[in-house]
Formats: sequence, structure tokens, C-alpha cells
Amino acid sequence: MLLDRSRFRDHRLSHSERRNWRFMLTLIGALVLFLAYFLPFFQTRIASAHTTFIEDPAVTLEFPVLIHGQHATHAKTLGNGQLESVEVSLEKVNGVASTGWGWLFRSLGAPDRGALVSFIVTMAIPLVGAALGALLVVRSYVREAGVAEKLIPASLIISALSMLSLGFAWCHQVDFSTYLYAQSNGALNPGIGLWTAVIGAALMTAGIWSLRHETRRDLLNWWSLAFVVALTIWLLIRVRPYPYLEIWRFIGDGILVTLRIVITSYGFILLVSLLGGLGRISHNRIIYGISTLYVELIRGIPLLVQLLFIWFALPNMFRAVGEATQQYPAISAWFGQLRLNEYTAAVMGLTVCYGAYGAEIFRAGISSIHRGQMEAARSLGMSSFQAMRHIVLPQAVRVILPPIGNEFVALIKDSSLVSVLAVSDLTRRGREYMARTFLSFDTWIMVALCYLVLTLVSSRIVEFLESKTRFER
Amino acid sequence: MERSIEETDVPIIQIRHLRKSYYHGKLVALDDVSLDVPQGQVAVVIGPSGSGKSTMLRCLNYLEIPDSGEVIIDGIALAHASRLNEVRTEIGMVFQQFNLFPHLSVLENIMMAQRIVRKRNRQEAQEVAEELLNKVGIPDKAGAYPIQLSGGQQQRVAIARALAMQPKIMLFDEPTSALDPEMIKEVLDVMLQLAQDGMTMVVVSHEMGFARNAADRVIFMDDGKVIEDTTPEELFRAPKHERTKEFLGKILH
Repeated sequence: MLLDRSRFRDHRLSHSERRNWRFMLTLIGALVLFLAYFLPFFQTRIASAHTTFIEDPAVTLEFPVLIHGQHATHAKTLGNGQLESVEVSLEKVNGVASTGWGWLFRSLGAPDRGALVSFIVTMAIPLVGAALGALLVVRSYVREAGVAEKLIPASLIISALSMLSLGFAWCHQVDFSTYLYAQSNGALNPGIGLWTAVIGAALMTAGIWSLRHETRRDLLNWWSLAFVVALTIWLLIRVRPYPYLEIWRFIGDGILVTLRIVITSYGFILLVSLLGGLGRISHNRIIYGISTLYVELIRGIPLLVQLLFIWFALPNMFRAVGEATQQYPAISAWFGQLRLNEYTAAVMGLTVCYGAYGAEIFRAGISSIHRGQMEAARSLGMSSFQAMRHIVLPQAVRVILPPIGNEFVALIKDSSLVSVLAVSDLTRRGREYMARTFLSFDTWIMVALCYLVLTLVSSRIVEFLESKTRFER
Repeated sequence: MERSIEETDVPIIQIRHLRKSYYHGKLVALDDVSLDVPQGQVAVVIGPSGSGKSTMLRCLNYLEIPDSGEVIIDGIALAHASRLNEVRTEIGMVFQQFNLFPHLSVLENIMMAQRIVRKRNRQEAQEVAEELLNKVGIPDKAGAYPIQLSGGQQQRVAIARALAMQPKIMLFDEPTSALDPEMIKEVLDVMLQLAQDGMTMVVVSHEMGFARNAADRVIFMDDGKVIEDTTPEELFRAPKHERTKEFLGKILH
């Protein structure tokens, strides 16, 4: 099990364990990181940059250092024009302004929202990491056992993040608009402070990492994979805004559409699955027959075919019914006016298809509960509905949750099929972008990574819910 | 039929010509069984496995629906009872496998049906539950979950759960068969106490000691029929039927 809380609680670091080299390493790392903020972070900075594009009319962009959004403008322009030249003028940074604190206050004082984010990401996270690492050690010295352990997961994450942050602090200096120049001239000196900070953060991370082993907490579970994938997207956007930022902006609303469809249909799917599952165990022959027929038929037809049927054939059927019932104007008019928008059709198709699979999961889950439970409840005078609601279903949920959670993950992936219904979901937006730019590799890598983040995160959430509802029987 | 205890009232349980078969008549579980159990009587049903004693017991609250015949509880014929659930609240049942609700704590196990069926509020239900846990001797296990209890404790919780509905009749379906030998006594003690309090009880059991000490009446069943129906003294001292002698000879060593 990935999140074994009980084992974590059981192991308290002993008196000697709390004074060993691991804590020393953590403390030294935190101090080094903290002190690095007093050293120069950069000795040179970009005073201004002029970027020129060959376009009609010609465009010249001027960026002062550390103004964000330049990627965006850049990518937009580059979509059509050619980069002609980049001119960068440098300025030597002296004294207080060049230290970590100086950079921190500079970004803190910057006017726009992007700068505030940049402050948090690049300068504040390492500082928080150092504080947390130091707190961890100090608390373990001052307080009794069991207090420090609780801080380990958070401080490990923050200190690992702080190394990335420091990397980005450097990245900021090598903004895309200037990176050509910077690469060829070695203009940017990362500075002794930055490297010291990185070393401090690394020491601290190593210290806490080994502490983690002592408490035997599996902290770095598969959540980190989702994190890494998300980070990859961010890096791609950051390092190569063209084309990745543009792709991101283009397909971003597609992610929202995909999520909207998936979440809406999942709600309906749970409902249909519950009803279908109850129908499948019903003693009423008609209800049993209908639900079995539904499950057997729908599971035998590919989802894509079902979607195409709903989208293309169903409206025609409505029209035909409208024409056939012309002697009853009310019915005819109702059917004549009935329209499916692509969104409704997508949700319908996914619900019908996944509801059939879900019904089987619910049926299996409910049947897995020993019939003695039902008998005991009935013998106490509960109606079959009450027994199902209060006794059987709460137990069945624990059986149902893992497979029905997997269905959610599968649904995210299969929702890409609704792109054939003119729904502007993630896949369709990817296709549209590719059709415009012919950047097949970059587009589909980006789309795939976006799906990965969605599926990995939802898998972890499912796992978490499972561990919450697990119980012995 | 010979009756060991004379009762003037109408019997609280009346069974009339009960028949039940499985597999389309291939296996006959109950073959024309008729029985009366008056209020306050403790009847122990014994017999070899497959003799239909459990089936009969389960027919008493219609967990098993008989093919023909009638079960009349407290004057209400179950077959025609549109209020089967109401009748069932008057009949507590204890199972061989306990059938406690594993997702609920002991206290919640006992409170659940009270709150849903008897519509008692939380406080009322909890008072009843705590009192019953006291009675069965495990007041300290209120917050535990069934999995954390021993078999004997689980069965006592199951008895408390059934009693919480304040039933007029208690049915016991081999309540000690799934228990370790050393836990049998604690369950039997609770049942004995219940019998002394005057509860009407029908007990399917192989515990001959309990039959001797607590039963007003012992019913021997075989092949879906009632073979012998008499007082425990009579049955153990001088069984009339050959089949009874054979059975008792096998289990009494």
C-alpha cells in the first residue's frame, strides 16, 4: 500500500535517531540555503531586449527584464512571422540589489500578477523550504518524539521543490526572447549565491529524504508521476514557448470541455449503473429482463458506433417520428423541434455505454455482499429498500469503488472519441491546431501529456478514496 | 399431538401443514409440518443435518417462503400479511454466522434497526443499545467493530441487536455452531437468562445441555417431518421412535 498511515504513526524516531547525521544534514542544508540569500545571486542582468520579426508590417518588441507575458506575445507573433534579430543590453548588478534578498524584493515589488507568481516560485519557495527544514530539526530537539515526523512529508516536498525553483530563478534570466543571445555570449552569470542555494537545498533534501526512510513513510508515491508530467508540460511551455505555449493556449479550453463532459457523464453513469445493477439482481422478471438486455446489447457495440448513432441517426429518427405522427400536432411538433446539441449527444453516448459496464460492476459489488447481511436486516423488520440503502450498499460501495474509479479514468481516455461529434474537446482542439500548423509531433505530445495529467491525478484520487473506505470483513 | 405444557391462550406461533421443497421438488425440506408454540415456551429443535429444522425456522419469519401451508404469528397469517415487515419486528432472529453489519460499530449495529424501523431517536436508541450490551455482558465493546470481537462476543451482540426491537419471539438458528468450544458457554448463558425471563424461543441447536436445562419442549425432526415432540426429560430418558434413539445414541456418546 502506498499510503500506509498506520506504519507511519507507529514508528517514532527514538532519542538517538533524532540527533543523528540525518538531522545534521538537514539543518546544515537549511542554514546554507538561508545564508545563500545574502550572497549575490546574479552579477549581470538584462537591462533591455529588442526582438525584431520579419512580418508585414515589421514588429519590434521591447522587453525589460522579468516582465512576463513576453512568451505569449512572442509565440503569437512567431506563429506568423520570422524572428529576425534579438538585441540584448546587459547591466551589471552591484551590491544589495544583486543578492537573493534583492531579487526577492524586486520580484515582490513588480507590478503585475505574473511577477508575483514569479516571486513565489523562484524566490519564496526555497526560503520556505529552508524555514521548514530548520523547524523540523529544531522541533525534534525541543519537543518529544512524534512531533518532527509530521513535518517530514511537507518539508521534503518543499525542499525538493526549492531546487526546481532555483532552477527557474536561473531560467528567468534566460527568457526566451534573449536565450539565443545568452547562449552564444554566456552573458548571464548565475552567480555564486544561486549555486550555494542549490547546494543547500540539495543537502537539505538529502537529509529529509533519509529521514523519510527512517519513518518508513512512503511519501514519494505515484502522485509524483503526475507531478512530473505536469512539470514536463510547464517546462516545455517555459523553455520552448513556441510552439508549446501556443499549443497550450489553443488546446486549454479543450481540457475544460473534456473535463466538463467527463464529470457530467460520470454523474449520470453512476445513476444508470446503480439502477442497472439493481435491475440485474431484481427478482422482478421484467426489470431483470430489461436491464440484462440493456447491458448485453450495449456492451456488444463499440462506443464510437454508439456515439455516431446518437449524433447522426437519432435526429433523423426524431424527424421521422415527427412526420409519422402528424395527425397529433402536439407530439409531432415536439419531436420536430427536438434537437441534440453535440454536448448533449456526447454525454448521452458516454452515459449509455459506460452505464452498461457500470451496471455490471454494481451488480457484482452488491452480489459480493453475503446474503446473510440482507437476511439479518430483513429479519429486523427493514424493508428491502431500507436494507439495501443502509446495510448492503454501504458495504458494496467499498467493493465497487476500485473498479468504478477505474471506469472514471477509462472515461477520461474514451472521451476523446466524442471529438467526432464536433465537440471541441482536447483531442479535437489538438487536431484543429495540427491542421493549422502541421506541427504533428509537438501537438500530440502536448495533448498526450494533458491526458496523462488528468488520468494520473484521477487514478491517485481513486486510490486515496479506496484507502479511506477500506475495512476488514 | 401430545402436548407437554398446557396453555389456555392461543399459541403465539402456529404452523399449519408447512411444505417446502427445493430444485423443483427434487429435495423435500419440509413435509407437512404442523406445530404450535405458546407464549413463553422455549422449544428446542434437534435433528440430523438436512432434516429441515433450519428451513422450518426460517419459514417462521418468511426468510424462506413455504410452498404451501400457513405460518400464523400472534394471530397474523404471514402469507397474507401486507405488513410482513411489521410482523418481522416482533420476531428476533439470531444466525449461525452472526451476520453482524461489518461496516458499523457494535453500538450502531444495535441502533440501526431501532432508528430506521422503530423510528427511535438517537438518544433513545443508544440507551436501549447500552442497556442490552450490559445485559449480554460486553458494555465495554460498544465502540468496537465486529471484526475486533471474538465469535462469542459477536453472537452476543447479534442477540442484543435482535432484542433491541423488543420482539415477542426469538428464533435461534444454530447460534453456537460456528463458535469455538470455550465461547459456547457465554452465549448459552445469555440465552438461558432470556429463557428464564420468559421469552418465547425457538432454538435450533445441537446443544443437548441447553435443551436439558432450558427447554420446555424438544422437537426431533428428520426428513422434513416432526418425528417426536415432547419434554426434554422424556426425550432423553425414553425416546419413543427408533430414529430418535439412533440419533441420540450418535450425539450423546
